[in-house]
Formats: sequence, C-alpha cells, structure tokens
Amino acid sequence: MKRLLRVALCLLLACYAGQSVWAGTETLVVGVSSDIHTLDPGVSSDNYDWRQIYPCYDRLVRYKVMDGKGSTEVEPSAAESWEVSPDGLIWTFRIREGITFADGTKLDAEAVRFSLQRTLDIGKGPADNIGAIDVMRVIDPMTLEITLKNPYGPFLQTLATNGASIINPKIMQHAKDNDLAQAWLAGNMDGSGPFRMVEWLRGQRFVLEANKDYWGGAPALDRVIIRFMPESADRRMALERGDIDIAENVLIDQIPALEQNPEISVERHASQLVEYVYINTQKDKLKDKQVRQALSYAVDYQGIIDFVLQGNGVQMRGPVPLGMWGHKPDVFQYTRDVDKAKALLKDAGAEGLELTLIYSERRPSWEQIATIMQANFAQIGVKLNLQLLANPTLRDQVDKGDFELCLGAWSPDFADPYMFMNFWFDSGLWGLPGNRSFYQNEQVDALIREAAAKADVAERTRLYHQAQDVIMEDAPYIFLYQVQTIVPLHKNVHGYVFNPMLESMYNFESITKN
Amino acid sequence: MKLPGRFLMTLLLYVLRRLAYMAPVLLGVTVLAFLISHAIPGDPAQLIAGPKASRETVENIRRTHGLDQPLPAQYWRFLHGLSQGDLGVSIRSHRPVLEDIRDYLPATLELTLASLLLCLGLGIPLGILAAVKRNTVVDHLTRVFSVIGVSTPVFWLGLMLLLVFYRHLGWLPGSGRLDVTMAAPLRITGMYTVDALLAGDWQALRNAASHLLLPAFCLSYVYLAIITRIVRSSMIAVLGQDYIVTARANGLSEARVVLKHAFKNSLIPTVTIVGLSFGELMGGAILTETIFSWPGMGKYVVDSVNYLDFPAIMGFTLMVSLAYVCVNLAVDVLYAAINPTIRY
Repeated sequence: MKRLLRVALCLLLACYAGQSVWAGTETLVVGVSSDIHTLDPGVSSDNYDWRQIYPCYDRLVRYKVMDGKGSTEVEPSAAESWEVSPDGLIWTFRIREGITFADGTKLDAEAVRFSLQRTLDIGKGPADNIGAIDVMRVIDPMTLEITLKNPYGPFLQTLATNGASIINPKIMQHAKDNDLAQAWLAGNMDGSGPFRMVEWLRGQRFVLEANKDYWGGAPALDRVIIRFMPESADRRMALERGDIDIAENVLIDQIPALEQNPEISVERHASQLVEYVYINTQKDKLKDKQVRQALSYAVDYQGIIDFVLQGNGVQMRGPVPLGMWGHKPDVFQYTRDVDKAKALLKDAGAEGLELTLIYSERRPSWEQIATIMQANFAQIGVKLNLQLLANPTLRDQVDKGDFELCLGAWSPDFADPYMFMNFWFDSGLWGLPGNRSFYQNEQVDALIREAAAKADVAERTRLYHQAQDVIMEDAPYIFLYQVQTIVPLHKNVHGYVFNPMLESMYNFESITKN
Repeated sequence: MKLPGRFLMTLLLYVLRRLAYMAPVLLGVTVLAFLISHAIPGDPAQLIAGPKASRETVENIRRTHGLDQPLPAQYWRFLHGLSQGDLGVSIRSHRPVLEDIRDYLPATLELTLASLLLCLGLGIPLGILAAVKRNTVVDHLTRVFSVIGVSTPVFWLGLMLLLVFYRHLGWLPGSGRLDVTMAAPLRITGMYTVDALLAGDWQALRNAASHLLLPAFCLSYVYLAIITRIVRSSMIAVLGQDYIVTARANGLSEARVVLKHAFKNSLIPTVTIVGLSFGELMGGAILTETIFSWPGMGKYVVDSVNYLDFPAIMGFTLMVSLAYVCVNLAVDVLYAAINPTIRY
C-alpha cells in the first residue's frame, strides 16, 4: 500500500507542469470556440473554416485596409487590373505575374478559371456567391475574360469571398470518382497565400506556417496556432495566463473582468452581424401592416441592447447596417411607443392578439431577448408564446413558412447591400434562402432588382434608399440591433485589423508580436 | 485463481453464445437510432448548404448525399455499407465516419480509462477504509467526500478545477491534450499517454499525463463517489458474516481478513457498477470534453446531432452500443471468476 502511494505521488509530481507555455514572439496563438469541418473553398459556407482557408489562398481582389482599419471596398490582389464592358457583362482580368503555388506551379488565368469553375461545378453554398458567372475564357496565359449571365452590381465583391479562392489546378491528380478532388481538399490545401497549412489535429489545433516567398512580402510571424477551445471561460483563463494571444467569442459577461487586466486590451468593432425578428407576413393578422408596425413599436430596443448586450450594440436603422454603403442614416426608425402600438392594434382590429415566437439556442442572447419581447408585447395587449426549438427544426419551419415570429441573425458574405436588400426582400427568395418574412411588394421587387443589375454605385444607392422607405413602412421584420464584435487580445499583439466582411477571420500576414 | 477446465469450456461456449446475440442487439440499435435521428424534423442539406443557400444548391446537396431517397432505401444503403465495414461519409466533415471515429475515439477512450482508473484506485480503498473504520471520523469524511461528488455539477467542478489548479496556482496545464508547442507522439493507439509510453518519449508522457489529470478527475468524481459508497456498504455486509468472525478467531491478521476474505466477496456489486459506469463515461463525457477542450466523441456527436449528420450519429451510436455490450459481457464473465457459485 505504501509503495502504491509512493508511486502515485511520484506520478503526481511528474505531472506538475508549473509555468505556462509561452509560444514566443514568432508564434501567434489564437483560442477559438469551434473546430472546423472542411478546408475546401468550394464547399465551406462557414466563417470558422474560412479563418484557416483564407490566409492560405489568393483571390483576384482583396479588401482594402484604410488607416489601419478594414473596409468593405476591394482592391487588386491576384488580379493586377481589370476592365468591364459598358453593359457590365464582360469582365477582363489581367493576372499578376510572379505568383506561384507551393510546388512552383504558376498562378495564371487558367488556374483562376479552373478554381471558379470548380466551385460552380461543385454547386454547394459558395457557388451561389459567384453564381452570376456564365462563361469564362482564357484569352492569353495571364488574361481571363468572365462573361456574366446578366449585369450584376456586386460581382467584384463576390470575388473577394472565400469560395473564389484560387487553387492549384494540379489538385486534380487527387480527384476520385469525379469528385473534383473534394475528398482530398477537405483535409489539405494547395494555394499561393501568405500562409501554408502544417498540421490539423482535429478538435485540438490547426497550425499555419508563413510562406516566406509570398509575393506580397513574407509575414512577420513564423507560425500561427489556432487552438480549438469550446468553453468561453477556458479561453478567458488561457488568455489571462498568456497561453493564447487572442481569445475569440468570449461571453459578454466575462469582458469587464478582462478589461481590468493591464496586459490585455479589449477591442470593440462595429460588425455587420445583425439580429432581427422575421414576421411571417403571410400569416392571418400579420398580413396587416398596421399589426406589424405595432409589434415594431412595442419592442424596447435600447433595453435589449443595454441588458442583453451590455451596451455592445446599436439599434438597426433600416435593413442595411451602418458601415455598409447603401445604409440610409435618415430612414425611419421604430422606437418604443406603447400608446401608438396599442392604437395601431385597435385600428387593425387585432386587440387580444396571441402570437408565437420561435427561436433556437444558436445564439446565447436569444433566450433573454425572447423573454423581454414577451414582456414588451404584453404591455400592448399581445400574448406572446415562446417556443424553443432545435436549430434544424427551426430552420425547417422557417423554410416552410410554418411560424409567426422567429428570431434570426444575418451577416453578409460580400460587401454589398445586395446581401441585405435583395436577399431579405426579393419575393423570389421566400424562406431560408433569404426572404424569411415571406414579404412581397412589387414596388420593392422592382427597385431592388434594378439596383442589383446596375454597376453605378450612386444609382444603386438611390434605388436601395427608395426601397428602404417602403420597407420601413411595411415593417416585415423587427430590426433589432447590429452587434459589436469584441476581440480581447494581449497587448504585445500589434497590427490586428478587424474587417466586418471577414468575421472570425484574421489578417495573420500583417500581425506582429513583441 | 484456478478454474476447472470444464468450467472454462462452458464459459467459452457462453461467451460465443453471447457474441452471437450481439448481432441482433446491434441491428436493433441501428434501426432505433436511424428512426429516432430521422424523426427530428429538419433537413441536413439545408444545414450544410449554409444559411443563405439557394433552393437548387440545397437540392443538389440532398441528391449528392442520397438524402432525397426514401428512408428504407437510405437505411438499406447504410446496412450495405456496414456489411463491408463502411460507416459512410460524414455530411459535416466530408470524411468517412470511420476516419472521424479513429481521430476522436482514442481521446475519449483515454479519458474514460484514466477516469476508471481513478475511480477504482481511489474509490475502492476509500470504500474499504470507510467500512473498516465505520462510524469514525474517517467514515464521516469519506461520506462528505462522496456526497459532494454525487451532487456537484460537472461543468462547475471542471471550471473550478481549471480556475484553481491552472489559472491561480499554475500547478497543472490548462485545457487540451498537449501543450500547443508540443508535437503529438507517434500514433499507435491514438491515446497520447499510451503512445508516449510505448515510444519511450518521457517528455510527451509527462505533458500528456498532466493534461489528463484534471479532466479525468472531473469526469470520475461522480462515479468515484458512487463506487466508494457501494464498496463501503457491501464491505460492511460481508464483514458481518460468520466466516469473517471465524477467520478473525483463527488469528488471521486484520489486513488479510479485510483484503483477502472480505473484499473479494464484496466485489460483485462493484463490478456491476464499474461496468455500467464505463458505458456511461464513454457516452457521457460531453461536458467534461467541452470544458477541457478534450477532442473526444462526446463533442463530436453533439455537433453531429445539431447538424443532423446521420452517418456520424449512426456510427457513434453503433460504437457506444458495441462498447456497452462488450463491457456487459466482460462483467458477466468476471462474476463467474469472482464467485465460484455463479456458473453459466
């Protein structure tokens, strides 16, 4: 027995690890909340995957950084320059010389054509973003001509999305059963970006190594380690101990404590992520816009922002969020007005209304928002039943229109108001594809479709602004708030640039550590 | 212990018979798991396609994964694959489910075995001690220890362990299976401690073991408490038997009486509980795995359910049922080995 005890004690002592594990100034460690699923740019529709994929590939264009801040405008990247025909249909890209993949293969027009065509042929989520492409033609080794199905305003922006990443065509040697090398690319990468994949230990970590020969200049960091840590408190503790440099998605209630820590800075950035309530405009009383307006007047927007988000958000003003062009700063905004809401309900003959709000556990804030809305609605005489559903079930019901009210979140894939205006209000996109309030207004349809087909930003802005006035009057959604992304990081990390278009993604190529 | 040859023969036949019964049990499990997972309303194609996908894209994915086929056809396809040792391709990770299991199962197994080791290594001595020192301070202390164990929520315990031993004292490393800067040992079993031991890589062993300690304790505490209580009560029952009095009267040392004569006869209930605990530890480690960023099956399967990743759900269910059935069989065989009056 004594011997056993001694052995156990020795083992315990052997386990004693003492000091924390500091990775050094050449290695950046990021603690993130979720493991990833696939590395195939043609397959993934998930920002968490893109976080790893994006720095390993080049795209024709990239988001500009202006004064150290990420913007929604794009600039040349693998494409040196481009021209567009007057009708906006034919785009001719001149590819930059001197970009190579890891094996020395040249990045040329054919590689771009191959990559975009592959994403289109796979036909999964990313294909929708570049779905405007009709045909592509390699004019000479460094010139690619893309013809669109119809003029499409946001086209250039869609080329900055993850699905438009340029892949080495040689991956086709790994193709099996006509899968366009999907099986191989799910766990491997072959790009020309500033980083290369070294290791992916599933559920544990993902390691990237700097591509010292990168055409845009070698990154300052040698290595980036992404640690998968599902528990928020765990990420917070690791950040405080200095084991990780950046902690992602730390719960709001833990932020004030981090702000007290002199070694940590907490950055807040206006994101393009919005939360809103779909009102099913095809359901009984909800068909009446006065009822929808009444519901919009009933909600205590500021209360939700102060209490649920602890001030880390701003009320939405119209469907296009602040920071995206096309945002209309003077569009009508609903604020809490119980009397007006009651009067509207009375006019509509909808007193004593009973509604059901569905939501899932996908976002931790929803339970609280639902409860606040229940209390808000009770004050205008509307009984709100709350129904918590599993995420797949919720999505199924939303797609079928089998609901009255539903809590939702949305973030744009590319920097264009199209992501809000056309997705949310086009009557051809009812259900999950985007128009989740099953809204139909011919005037709005005409305006947003015209805006999508034009290239001139001023003209498009005018059309979108016009549509927004109609939409706010119709109140098909309750526009809650625009979320602030909170990024706690160590003070020895410099050069981090938040880009609202690249949520959960990092500019590893320009981050330094001292 | 000596076992008669004839007994071994009948035992072998019994084991073979039980193994034959396993097939219909597992088949039943697959039918149930298949029906239940498909009863959840929802469409995995929509989930994979992403939140903004068009109808054509969703339809395309549905077709690629065979989700547009009628349920019996889908089930038949699963069975057909299974008969060839193929569990299908995960909808979420786009890899064969077997490969996913190969990646995630060893972590769970390592955690489970370490927890079990802690349960037995601490639970049995504590239980014996409490029984022998019945109604003394020692007994009361173990009771308090057990009551705390049974009533402490795992997520709270896990966070407290990290807060105290990692954040404040810095005695033990934080979450994960290894330090980020350390390479994983050469894969043999996939269990880092075992692989490091086999490779003679002491640094990796030390690192992996230190990472294992907190999650293993966190996971084991409830079962540790239960085992302590079970061992105590069955020991008390046995210690009151006539043959123990006789043994003592014959002048045997107390240690010999307790450890050899009493303990062995009190083992049956303990073995039963250990068998059950093993199955539960395997399937129920999700909270511990989440808190300690332990990349095991628990987290994998919860994510799979959220994504309605049918092949992954089926693969996991099958794997855990197999473990359950095997452990139950092992427990039944152990009964016979422990107690000669039990024969099959």
